[in-house]
Amino acid sequence: MRFRFCGDLDCPDWVLAEISTLARVSSVKMKLLCVQVIKDLLDEGIDYEKVSKLTSDAKFESGDVKASIGVLSFILSSAAKHDVDGESLSSELQQLGLPKEHTTGLCKSYEDKHNALQEKLRESSLRLGHLEAVNWRVDYTLSSSELKEVNEPTVQLRLQAQNPETDSIETTVVSITADKFRVLLTELKQAQAIMNSLQ
Amino acid sequence: MINLLEKLSPEECPKLVHLVADEVCGRRGPRRSDFSDRWSLSEWMDLMNSLSSFIRFAVGRGCTDQEVRELLSDLDTARTEAVLQCVRSRHDEIRHALVDRTNAISSTHLQDFNWQIKLALSSDKLSALNTPLLNLSLDLKDNGTQRSKNIEMNKEELQTLISALEAANKVMQS
Repeated sequence: MRFRFCGDLDCPDWVLAEISTLARVSSVKMKLLCVQVIKDLLDEGIDYEKVSKLTSDAKFESGDVKASIGVLSFILSSAAKHDVDGESLSSELQQLGLPKEHTTGLCKSYEDKHNALQEKLRESSLRLGHLEAVNWRVDYTLSSSELKEVNEPTVQLRLQAQNPETDSIETTVVSITADKFRVLLTELKQAQAIMNSLQ
Repeated sequence: MINLLEKLSPEECPKLVHLVADEVCGRRGPRRSDFSDRWSLSEWMDLMNSLSSFIRFAVGRGCTDQEVRELLSDLDTARTEAVLQCVRSRHDEIRHALVDRTNAISSTHLQDFNWQIKLALSSDKLSALNTPLLNLSLDLKDNGTQRSKNIEMNKEELQTLISALEAANKVMQS
């Protein structure tokens, strides 16, 4: 069997195995558990105390708690990754043996946070260098040893960007003559117009 | 040293002077082999240096024709006129090169830049990413050493950069 939430692949065996663990908590508590897992996926912080309370009724051991968080994380993030709608996810999870009430609760939480989850995944996708900050200063050069009367503006530009290899922020300071600066700005605007036309 | 120019016929003189001016403007300069063996290697180097310095000095100091003639009093009229003609006719271009050289004094300066737009289709995190990204590559020159800097930007980051540059541009135009 191939599942859309697994990217049209077989469901991994460990997920299959842990679905039965999930079935042991009540559907209401599982929905609350989903809320916590989604918080974790969105980097909002998971409340482990709450999680252990939610799972205490079902007499979960710590291994079971970890497994249920793991399997919910997989289901939710993988469904968001492959842009599966709530209804399809619900029916696929039922095919895998999760009770209907459980899937309803899970899919409700999923649908509520579908966009937020995708946005998070988009943000965390590989980027080779972010632009962090831009500072500038315009100078007017009056005279130099090369040229007695310069009278030309120059732009000092400081760019702070992340280096993809070291993950550290690197600062570049560059001085640009007025002519080159205008060309740079014009071309960046052209590039921006192309980017805007893509969406 | 500039009187080494006397070894060249007055007809060939403008060609050499213009090639030296090309070099000042950042293009390819003259090659010794093109002018056969008139000068020894050290004479050739001396001539190149003095011609290049003279051209930069004449434009950089804004010398009048009369001053140029006085500075070149060692040379005969035909050769003086060749140098003067070159300095006069290419004044704007040489001045532009001097502005670039001024800009290169004690700072890293921008030589060239290139960009590229890519549409990121998919990633390990999200199967339908569809995010446009701009790669900006800046060729920087720092005291003769060249290096390049690559920055990848999404739409928001590009907007940040453009807004900053526009603000600077506004100041420059006023």
